[in-house]
Amino acid sequence: MGYKNTNGLQKRLEKQYLLLVIPGFVIFTIGIIIPTILAFRFSLTSWNGLTPDKPFVGLKNYVTLFNDSNFLQSWWFTIKFTIGNTIIQNVLALLFAVALDSGIKAQKIYRTVLFIPCLISSVIVGFIWLKMYSNVLPEINEWLGTNINFLLFGSGETVLSGLLIANNWQWIGYWMLIYLAGLQSIPAELYEAAKVDGAGAVSRFFNITIPMLAPSITICVVGITTGSLKVYDLLVSSTGGGPGRSSTSVILQIYNTAIGARQFGYGSAMSVTLVFALLLVALVQVKTLKSREVQQ
Amino acid sequence: MKRKLMSMLMASTMAASLLVGCGGQATDTNASGESGDTSVASDEQVTLTVLAGQSTTDAGIEDMIDAALAEKYPNITLEWECVGWDGEFHPKMQQYMQTGIPDIIIGKGQDVATYSSLGLLGEIDSTYTDRVIDAANENVTFDGKTYGLVYNALYQGVYYNRQMFEENGWEIPKNQEDLQAIIDDCNAKGITPFASHMVDTWSIGNVTMQFMMNDVFNNNPTWGDDFRAGKTSFSTDEAAQICYQYNKLIYDNTFPETFSLEQTDCDAKMVLGDAAMKVSGSWSIQNFLDIDENFDFGIFPFPNQTGDSKLIFEPNIAIMTSATTEHQDAVNCVLDLLTSDEELAVEIYDYTKTASMLKGISPTFTNPSQSDIDKYAAEDMVVDVNLGNNQLVWGGFQEENAADIAAWLLGDESFEDCLAASDARVDVSSSAAE
Repeated sequence: MGYKNTNGLQKRLEKQYLLLVIPGFVIFTIGIIIPTILAFRFSLTSWNGLTPDKPFVGLKNYVTLFNDSNFLQSWWFTIKFTIGNTIIQNVLALLFAVALDSGIKAQKIYRTVLFIPCLISSVIVGFIWLKMYSNVLPEINEWLGTNINFLLFGSGETVLSGLLIANNWQWIGYWMLIYLAGLQSIPAELYEAAKVDGAGAVSRFFNITIPMLAPSITICVVGITTGSLKVYDLLVSSTGGGPGRSSTSVILQIYNTAIGARQFGYGSAMSVTLVFALLLVALVQVKTLKSREVQQ
Repeated sequence: MKRKLMSMLMASTMAASLLVGCGGQATDTNASGESGDTSVASDEQVTLTVLAGQSTTDAGIEDMIDAALAEKYPNITLEWECVGWDGEFHPKMQQYMQTGIPDIIIGKGQDVATYSSLGLLGEIDSTYTDRVIDAANENVTFDGKTYGLVYNALYQGVYYNRQMFEENGWEIPKNQEDLQAIIDDCNAKGITPFASHMVDTWSIGNVTMQFMMNDVFNNNPTWGDDFRAGKTSFSTDEAAQICYQYNKLIYDNTFPETFSLEQTDCDAKMVLGDAAMKVSGSWSIQNFLDIDENFDFGIFPFPNQTGDSKLIFEPNIAIMTSATTEHQDAVNCVLDLLTSDEELAVEIYDYTKTASMLKGISPTFTNPSQSDIDKYAAEDMVVDVNLGNNQLVWGGFQEENAADIAAWLLGDESFEDCLAASDARVDVSSSAAE
């Protein structure tokens, strides 16, 4: 009798889960699955996005991609931007979180100040830093009589640094909050026990804090990496992909190719490679980081 | 039970809203190929959709048109969708091609070739095109049919600080030697010869087309067709290469921060006397006069190799109509208003600081460079840049070439690679969509 009741409850729960999953599944199908399939279909054509004809060209677009120096250059920039962001944002966000968790005075003020930039649209952040580098910061040279090069967006050699500063300024506060939440959920008894065992601050950080933060690290690393790989809006309003092509990301290159140059088929092939790259990176990161979480 | 009911209700609402949102596009793009069969009675309310791809100078003219329309044709309402021409106009058009294009499309003269070749545009009645100066109709007419109504024009060339030229005894340069002499004198006196804002890649593309108009298309108006036919290329044509080299001349004689300098800041420097010249277009006039309404400037064509450069004029606002509009009569009323309402036209020209393309109508704003424009026009030394823009399309070609030119100027790319990159884009160089 008891078994029958449990079975009925199980079935009702399954139905309820299914019902709750349907809206998300429909949105996911319409917003992700169908466009991805369509993009792959278009990537096999030389469609210009305007005409009714979509001439089939097979894998020609994919072959061309690997000889397209602009596309490869855009990937190289995107990879450098992603690696820079992932390292800087994670390290600084964690350090700020640890500092705020240590009970310093005016913690709420610091937290708010660091968090505010992520409430601003990336387009605005791009404008802000364009003005900062070209108008505001050079004024400092005037005041101090110095000759520091603040025109970071004006050269291919410095544009990446300028963009990393702008992007990290915007997002460090956001990831810091995630680390802070993770830190505050670590039981204080662990630290007390470690202290009793004679562990120092550094030892406690690496043997308790970092392992206990593994779920937060997974979220932050995957979020920052995939977010950086998709960078577009910051570039549009700050460098426009320049000077020259030195800050053209993959997404910007796809937009310029598919929409600007009316090469919809070729642009679709680019976007398909990006989707695969994003999936691969996310999969590897989640697998690696999750396995570390399991070991704790 | 209550919770279950709520979750079911929420789920079904979300699913229903999705289905409604995705299924509502029922516009028939093939409906009624013969336009003009729906007359608009004076008491019949008609709403026309308008997609306006605007330059920075144009934003705001929609309110002026609305006000004039409400007075003359109160039964017609315009539903505006204003987007930036540079980045959003073409994507919007691509989107509308799937669902039915708006009744009226406002773009630039060069768009007419692209969209008329797809059969999307309706022919504009001669009643209205006859009110436009003949030269403006030329490059929006294909196979004897005019598909665009050119409303205003921008002039492009070298804007110069008139006072600075007078004080230093500089004459308007006719050829490269004359120009070089001014540049040398500027450098000797610590004056920056050219104001420029190369952070905006479009500005490099724009000036390069100015150079090509006078050194390439001046001699061969079908250079783009020859390029596509393999008869010429950037790597082999010396004249085309010289046009790219002019960018280096400017880069070597401009502000060191040009790749960090925005247009407004650049124009301000020009007005404040930090530079003597600026290769630009009428879009700078708004800034010049906003910064200093007494700034005295003139314009001359960038000197070419043969000393016969012409001032460039660019038909700017071009009004196009849908080939399948169901409200042709109402569309015609709007065209009538735009081409016959002198007060509205002057208001728009004065606001945008642009030249009139309507016969017998002139703007009333003070344009210090107008005397130069009149002089070149009287000497028939003015050329329509749509000739070049129709031969070599802006989006995807000129724009991308400009990025390579910037990379070359910064030393990130060799000159040969820059030329080769332009040659490699030959397949996307045509303005015709097919």
